[in-house]
Amino acid sequence: MALFPLLSNFEGDFVLQLVAVDTENTMDEVAAAAAVHSVGRRVRARPDCIMRIRRQGSEDFLPRTMKVSESGLKPTETVEIIWEAARH
Amino acid sequence: MAVLNRMDWYDLARSTNWTPSYVSEDELFPPKLSGDFGLPQNAWEKYDEPYKQTYPEYVKVQREKDAGAYSVKAALERSRIFENADPGWKSVMKAHYGAIARGEYAAASAEARMMRFSKAPGMRNMSTLGCLDEIRHGQMQLYFPHEHVAKDRQMDWAFKAYDTNEWAMIAARHFFDDIMMTRDAISVSIMLTFSFETGFTNMQFLGLAADAAEAGDHTFANLISSIQTDESRHAQIGGPALKVLIENGHKAEAQKRVDIAVWGAWKLFSVLTGPIMDYYTPLAHRKQSFKEFMEEWIVAQFERALTDMGLDLPWYWDIFLNDLSQTHHGMHLGAYYWRPTLWWNPAAGITPDERAWLEQKYPGWNDTWGQCWDVFIDNVVDGNMEKAYPETLPAVCNMCQLPILGTPGKGWNVKDYPLEYNGRLYHFGSEVDRWVFQQEPERYAGHLSIVDRFLAGMIQPMDLNGALHYMNLAPGEIGDDAHNYAWAEVYRAMRAAKKAS
Repeated sequence: MALFPLLSNFEGDFVLQLVAVDTENTMDEVAAAAAVHSVGRRVRARPDCIMRIRRQGSEDFLPRTMKVSESGLKPTETVEIIWEAARH
Repeated sequence: MAVLNRMDWYDLARSTNWTPSYVSEDELFPPKLSGDFGLPQNAWEKYDEPYKQTYPEYVKVQREKDAGAYSVKAALERSRIFENADPGWKSVMKAHYGAIARGEYAAASAEARMMRFSKAPGMRNMSTLGCLDEIRHGQMQLYFPHEHVAKDRQMDWAFKAYDTNEWAMIAARHFFDDIMMTRDAISVSIMLTFSFETGFTNMQFLGLAADAAEAGDHTFANLISSIQTDESRHAQIGGPALKVLIENGHKAEAQKRVDIAVWGAWKLFSVLTGPIMDYYTPLAHRKQSFKEFMEEWIVAQFERALTDMGLDLPWYWDIFLNDLSQTHHGMHLGAYYWRPTLWWNPAAGITPDERAWLEQKYPGWNDTWGQCWDVFIDNVVDGNMEKAYPETLPAVCNMCQLPILGTPGKGWNVKDYPLEYNGRLYHFGSEVDRWVFQQEPERYAGHLSIVDRFLAGMIQPMDLNGALHYMNLAPGEIGDDAHNYAWAEVYRAMRAAKKAS
């Protein structure tokens, strides 16, 4: 349990933002924390989608349940939050 | 008594180099301050300034300039221009004075460094006059806003801004410290006068004077024109120095200094001038878009200045030309969204008519920047104001100190340009910002951006109020929408009409 700063690069938004998460947070929780500062402010919500996390430059998403402490992310590293169509 | 023509004696009178006998040349001109590039005094004696002026001529002309600008101010003091001006125009004045006035005083010390330490006698003469210019600019741009301080606390930032940790001022200080406060005489001449003043400010002052006249603010228009005439003279200090360097095999060092300074100047103008031209200036008074202005006055002119000099275009020229359509939209949206952290009240500039203008000038604006503004506008129209203000900090670039941004919406291309150096992770807003850092990492590595300071616990409490306190923004100074969201009425009316139909 420790505060962990990340930079959020949210799909559709225009600026990187500082987001404070916890090392115990999952990637879904990181996405939700990042969304607070973009969705409904400058990015429209997309109820048909879920939000996935990936490292900048990577095509692959990190597993949704992976914890920050397991991810190898560095403090202040930039993560991309990408809309993914929800499976029904 | 007959007086000799200036050109009969000027060259002789300003040939003030001599061979020192009590001290060495390096003691007289310490290389770190002189920036001699290994060239002896006689190489620098070939420096030939294109604009020759003697001290008596200078004093005569400057006296007339001062008399002109101050008398216009005195004549118009009761005209209530400030009270009646569009709030967007007042924001232009506030942003300009805060970002510029004290920087002019700092520039006087940079000119003084050239005056004392340059090995080129012609440069010493020109920068003596340049130093006096900058003192005059500092004094005028503090005196002129002073009459408004009693009416509006934000006007106090004309003096106060440079003493604060407000984010835009950290950015301005970082840039000016780099190009003029911590460089040798020759580098100052290249980076401040040639790159920043010839490339950008000279033209910026022309544009701003025209905008002021258009807005009916003749006091400000006269002030700015008066300053611009000085700029166009002392901006020419760097050109002959570049010639000396190129002729003596130092083109690469000269080019690098130009490339570094031009990029920093561009970023600063993208946050200051871009929003003013494309968003704050009332639609009826807009003559050119920021992009058109830059392309006509800066790009074309500066390209010519560079090639005339025998230099190349900066390696990043294509990136720069592309960014002319994008970066300032992001700087405006960022400055506006984080408006409590400004010392002026930004005009949103996003009514349907203004958006149509933006779409025309920047095809695709509605599908990109407009998408972010759509959400913002809905929040204001719905009274959902807590979503219309920020709750965190934007990431800022470790070089230009401005937000790291890109194009949103359908053209989403936002990207970080990270670099790990000595175990610390740095973030940059572009490939060019990162390149500047890599040219001399130790020069920049120790600086903490506003976000670095926040994470280091230097901003307490760690929330917006703590940040505002850290930035020295007192109640009554904190920025908000210039028109108190009056523009939202148009959208409310559109909604009502749609509902009724």
